[in-house]
Amino acid sequence: MTKRLFKAVFATAVLGFSAPVAVSAAECIAPANPGGGWDFTCRQIGKIMFDIGAVDQPVQVTNMSGAGGGLAYSHIVNERNDDNDVIIAASSATTTRLAQNAYAGATADQVRFVGAIGADPGVIVVAADSDYHTLGDLVSAIQADPGSVAFAGGSAVGGFDHLKPLMVLQRAGFDDIRSVRYIGVDGGADAITQTVGGFTQAMTGDMSEVVGFLNAGEIRVLAVLTEERVPGFDDIPTAREQGFDVVAVNWRGLYVPRGISDEDFNGWADKLQQVADSDDWAESMAANGLAPFTMVGDQFQSYVDNLVVEINTLSREIGVIQ
Amino acid sequence: MASDRIFGLVSLFVALAYIASATQIQTSFLADPVGPKAFPMLVGAVAALSSLVLILRPDPDPSWPIGRTWVSLLIAVVVLIAYAYSLKPLGFLVPTAIAAGVLSYQLSPQPRAAALTGVGLSVGLFVLFRFALGLSLFAFPKGWF
Amino acid sequence: MDIFANLALGFSVALSPYTLMLAVAGCFLGTIIGALPGLGPSNGVAILIPITFTLGLDATQALVLMTAVYYGAMYGGRISSILLNIPGDEPALMTTLDGYPMAKAGRAGDALVLSGVASFVGALLATIGLMLLAPMLARVAYLFGPAEYFALYLLAFCTLGGMASNNQAKAALASCIGLGIAMIGVDNNSGLPRMTGGHLHLMDGIDFLVAIVGLFAIAEVFFFIESHGKGSSIGVKLEKVRIPWRDIRETTPTMIRASGVGFVAGILPGAGASLGSFLAYMTEKSIAGPKGGFGTGVARGIAAPEAGNNSAAGGALVPMLTLGVPGSGTTAVLLALLMTLNITPGPTLFTDRPEVVWGLIASLLIANVVLLLMNVPMVKIFVRILSVPAWILLPGVTMVSFVGIYSLSGSYFDLLLMIGFGALGYVLRKLDIPTVPVILGILLGGNMENALRRAMVLSDGDATFLFSSPIAIGLWIAAVVGFIAPMFLRSVLTKPQAVTD
Repeated sequence: MTKRLFKAVFATAVLGFSAPVAVSAAECIAPANPGGGWDFTCRQIGKIMFDIGAVDQPVQVTNMSGAGGGLAYSHIVNERNDDNDVIIAASSATTTRLAQNAYAGATADQVRFVGAIGADPGVIVVAADSDYHTLGDLVSAIQADPGSVAFAGGSAVGGFDHLKPLMVLQRAGFDDIRSVRYIGVDGGADAITQTVGGFTQAMTGDMSEVVGFLNAGEIRVLAVLTEERVPGFDDIPTAREQGFDVVAVNWRGLYVPRGISDEDFNGWADKLQQVADSDDWAESMAANGLAPFTMVGDQFQSYVDNLVVEINTLSREIGVIQ
Repeated sequence: MASDRIFGLVSLFVALAYIASATQIQTSFLADPVGPKAFPMLVGAVAALSSLVLILRPDPDPSWPIGRTWVSLLIAVVVLIAYAYSLKPLGFLVPTAIAAGVLSYQLSPQPRAAALTGVGLSVGLFVLFRFALGLSLFAFPKGWF
Repeated sequence: MDIFANLALGFSVALSPYTLMLAVAGCFLGTIIGALPGLGPSNGVAILIPITFTLGLDATQALVLMTAVYYGAMYGGRISSILLNIPGDEPALMTTLDGYPMAKAGRAGDALVLSGVASFVGALLATIGLMLLAPMLARVAYLFGPAEYFALYLLAFCTLGGMASNNQAKAALASCIGLGIAMIGVDNNSGLPRMTGGHLHLMDGIDFLVAIVGLFAIAEVFFFIESHGKGSSIGVKLEKVRIPWRDIRETTPTMIRASGVGFVAGILPGAGASLGSFLAYMTEKSIAGPKGGFGTGVARGIAAPEAGNNSAAGGALVPMLTLGVPGSGTTAVLLALLMTLNITPGPTLFTDRPEVVWGLIASLLIANVVLLLMNVPMVKIFVRILSVPAWILLPGVTMVSFVGIYSLSGSYFDLLLMIGFGALGYVLRKLDIPTVPVILGILLGGNMENALRRAMVLSDGDATFLFSSPIAIGLWIAAVVGFIAPMFLRSVLTKPQAVTD
């Protein structure tokens, strides 16, 4: 045992990294298992912050999965409310769940939202050989026979991916939400696989999830749910220009504990702004299909406040929550 | 004989309780054809059925531990639970040394060897996890240093 | 041939002294991580990701290090399975069935060498498969819809009856325990929590790692306290370690078949290495028939799951690279790593970034050879673990388990659950109720239910949809045969072997 231990220590010495000794290194909590969007946010932002010198120690990423982010949320609210060395990855999923009261009574005002630096535009996608060529085609098919189209998406029923087509249908004046078929699978890529395989007729998700398949010619993007067309994907029409006024982007950002000082809050906002301005981040956004969407500090906080109200109203309207 | 019957009886009750609580599962407004209740109830039913088989056709009894061994098993469970609760507030080193020491003593009652094992494991594992594998462990309670 | 040109490109990227050193270090760390209960390939890789940043590695170097850790962990998991009956990670679960009895018979060295060779064969064949067929195999994922997945999981559960102990009801009960536990958490189809009792900690369900470490490692400690180490593998007089050529020769067909089964299971997203090793084991067991003596410590019972899980690990890279769909927890982490390095896996990856793909393939081959060379001589060191006195070894295993589980979520709740599983495991094993089906239930139960419910959403409740494709029908037939066959075999077979001990 001791021999192996020695070898292990030796191996690390060979690897040449020094152990992160200082306890003051910032920590980024990804409220999910490694591999998802939040994990990506933490690792990428943490890496860039260190690379550009915004922090002097590598940011330590902790995965704290549970309750779709709820465990990390209550951990921060209850146990680390004044810890100024911790940042937590957040996205539209965080606000959606807060708005739908899915964090067991926790509310959005129990933390401070620092900012978002990039957004993943919502998309509605069909297989390349599908008969549906515009969003209008798809909507009228559903209006004629709701059973003819099944959607696949990466979020659970009632989640953000599910809300996207429902919002579109609602704008088109279609009320019978219950008859719309949706299956929640394990992530966007899985949803595309099901759609290309012909098991579902359409896929709802984020731009980043479909880029590879789009380039390979496996799928057709019917609409992107942004205000303007996304740079680099200029031939994909928005839902809005096809007559369905729906904007749904999955922003990637951070929140911090409520109890930290304004000074610390602004410090994090500033660091995040530095990441947003860096070339590394621009490169990373391009590679991952993210659209620029930078909003930090108090401005972002009020954006989030409005968003929570909006999603809550919407969820009630379409019956996802009572 | 008796062991299997008792276990069968217990698991029958658990299975029935499971089915009962499955009927209480909230169904969403947007329910699917199968719904969230069907599968748990099916599992409960199969479990109840297997329990019945166990009650009706039990295997011979295993040899259960006797008096003093039960006590030491109970002590082990209590030590482990206490260890689980103390890991966060008291840091890694002290609780690990104590828990490992007690377990070691239970396996072989030599106080000195057990104490050495406890301390050795605690320090050795801390080095392994903290420095070789980079887990974020705290050696001592926050605020000691 | 294109492939050789590509491979040459790959090796030119991967074969520098520095990357080779990374591969060796990665294999070593991976083996240790795999062998420690509670730390499996997925959290092992996750833990080490920050190191790639601290070291400032480029994309290929980072991939070499991580795949070396990945494969290393897959190799390492078997060590504690064989020596202590504690699976180091979930794909090594099936290796306990024959590996531990063999170790108790004093043949720990043989078991370790044989499993190392089997791991090598499985991983090598899978890497070759990945190399030759990946773009084509990616299409397989398009053929599997909810109905097909449901039939696949059904197959796994139906064959459980064939593996389990003397009493089939006990195996059924054990899988129900696992399935029942798998239901806990937020229901993906309604978004509402089930069976959580309002407990926030239970919203995401119970992590199978908690169950596996509890049922095996902690329960083992209880057994030791009861028996003071009598009847275990610790302290068993070991034969001299040498290479069991005969076993290796005799199990070669097994390894090749198991690699094939494992590879296919690995390709299917959501099935992963555990299902791969399980199906490989069950296939070999049914080919061998009752005379094969599976569960008593036979060579084929070790070769099959090890070849199966390592080849599934390679197979899981196919959907990860070509579709961006991770087939297992570890590939999900590797996917995250790729994305952090600005590489987006998908259908175009093979053409857009050949240096990454072929560098990865080359590094897989390198890691595999390094692991074989490292593992066979190290068997001598590994078996010495058994001569460590139980009063040091067992507390050590316990503490490692605690830290491993603690690192999952940083909460004491999982630790309490783990202790609970330990107590449950003790009682179950006392009553000769197998614990392997419990783990499989937890691992696959949720997927199975989801597949069924998705299928029913798509067909609007029409059950015939479940038999609507040739693949689904084929799997159903296999499942029914797998369920019924053991019942007939049972009358042939007077007393099947217990699997738990």
